[in-house]
Amino acid sequence: MWSTGKGKGNEMDVDTVIQEERVKRFSPARSVEHLAHVATFVVLVCTGLSQRFYSLDISQWIILHLGGIDNVRLIHRFAGVICSLQIITHLAVAAIGIVYGKWQPSMVITKKDFTDVVHNIRYYLGMEKSPTRGGRYTYKQKFEYWGILTGVLLMMLTGFILWFPSVVTKYLPGEIIPAAKVLHTNEALVVFLIIAIWHVYNAIFSPEVFPMDTSIFTGYISKARMFREHPDELAEMEEKPLKDIPASP
Amino acid sequence: MKCHGYTVKMAFRSGESLSGTINISSLQASVHNKLSCSDCHYGFSSEEHPKRHFATRRDYTLASSENCRRCHFDKYTKTMESIHHTMLSQGNLEAPVCIDCHGSHGISHISKERALIAKRCQRCHAGIYDIYAKSVHGNALFNENNQDVPVCADCHTAHAIEDPRTLSYRERVPDMCSNCHANKAIVGKYGLSTAVVDTYLSDFHGVTLKFYRLQKGALNKPAKPMAVCTDCHGIHNISSTVGPDATVVKANLVKRCQKCHAEAPKNFPDSWLSHYKPSLKRAPLVFFVNLIYKIFIPILVAGLVLQIMLHVWRYVVNR
Repeated sequence: MWSTGKGKGNEMDVDTVIQEERVKRFSPARSVEHLAHVATFVVLVCTGLSQRFYSLDISQWIILHLGGIDNVRLIHRFAGVICSLQIITHLAVAAIGIVYGKWQPSMVITKKDFTDVVHNIRYYLGMEKSPTRGGRYTYKQKFEYWGILTGVLLMMLTGFILWFPSVVTKYLPGEIIPAAKVLHTNEALVVFLIIAIWHVYNAIFSPEVFPMDTSIFTGYISKARMFREHPDELAEMEEKPLKDIPASP
Repeated sequence: MKCHGYTVKMAFRSGESLSGTINISSLQASVHNKLSCSDCHYGFSSEEHPKRHFATRRDYTLASSENCRRCHFDKYTKTMESIHHTMLSQGNLEAPVCIDCHGSHGISHISKERALIAKRCQRCHAGIYDIYAKSVHGNALFNENNQDVPVCADCHTAHAIEDPRTLSYRERVPDMCSNCHANKAIVGKYGLSTAVVDTYLSDFHGVTLKFYRLQKGALNKPAKPMAVCTDCHGIHNISSTVGPDATVVKANLVKRCQKCHAEAPKNFPDSWLSHYKPSLKRAPLVFFVNLIYKIFIPILVAGLVLQIMLHVWRYVVNR
């Protein structure tokens, strides 16, 4: 719980009010974008990891039920093109948004994010009194975002190399092809693991949000969670001095 | 035996004739030396000797071959699936039957001298025999009497000989080669690596082939016939990949690649690591990319899991 004054009646009421109060966090466009990424991610994981772990029974089941290996590769490439377009659109929208001043570059990693990592780990270990104060995005979200983004960009590049090996080897040495394959499959595993371990934990299993963080779907987040996770952003929204919104576990 | 020890002749309607004289010593040296004549020539004995009519000498051979099935029924049924039997049933009477390969009275144990197997096939497949004789395998067999190398029947089988031009035959080529090339006891003494099979099977072509073979029925429609061992190494003309022939193998490789990868440039074959596992010497780039991820992925997973555990622990403590 975010409340620092446990057991005091009047503060419990405030707690309940804030629990019910909601804050707008994402526009519908962001919800749609997220859903589209989920769809391409699922397709790419099913058709991609089944090729990487081709000897597993489940992989063979998937490949045979999707119409054979040629079909699976076709679907994977098609989904890869869709995913690339999504990423390019995402980056273009973000760039335009920032350039025209409509968006804050809130995903950019700053020095504070690195100190936050150390600070929060110290807090978990009981060496700090309070956790870090998150802004629009916490360091956890930023590192996840950039980890996945660089991963997808690398896979776009290597995926293209693997799709057109004869074109690529006209300009580059042949060893690029097996190197691209190794990089593509391993980077895919990295992104899959970040999503499967980190994202799924933080969006579903974390005790802070369990049974599920619905903010990306509904566009709204509870004020209580804003207090806990994004106090700096809340302070900015409500134009209050930072000290009025205490960092809380 | 009394009569057939002397000169007797069988005459056919076509005017051909066949000597009925039996070479007793070769009969006694044969694997069938315990059998009596009527075991094969049933219906005949010293009392009974019915007259039989055959239009040609070949007809007699074909009919006599039917006698083998009384004992060798398993082999007989196998031959019924063979391309030779198909040709025979389509009217090509020259297609071989048991006697043509095994002989009649002087049948010996066939596996004793492997060069003889190739020589049997040579009678009809002389052109292929000549190519095989010059290959790394044929050369070792005929010039060094090497008994490890494959002869015709090792790939084509002895009895159920299948049409080798079919897709299903092509898809089983890696199995045939791996019979020896994945067996260290056989190829190890020639300094050959058994990794050749694994490196093929785990790469693009090998994995695709694996699924083509799993895909039955409606799914059995490969986009292209997948490259197998023989596509790069040759079929009957397989040459050594080391020594003076090595350059020929490499020069032919790009041509073979271009059959499927039409636009493939000259250095395209370099994208195949030639059965080598990536190492500092061979494909250092692939080796390093692999190494980086081998280190990075466990660290990433451990880091994330550790943070999650610390987070849960802190949450529990705070409650």
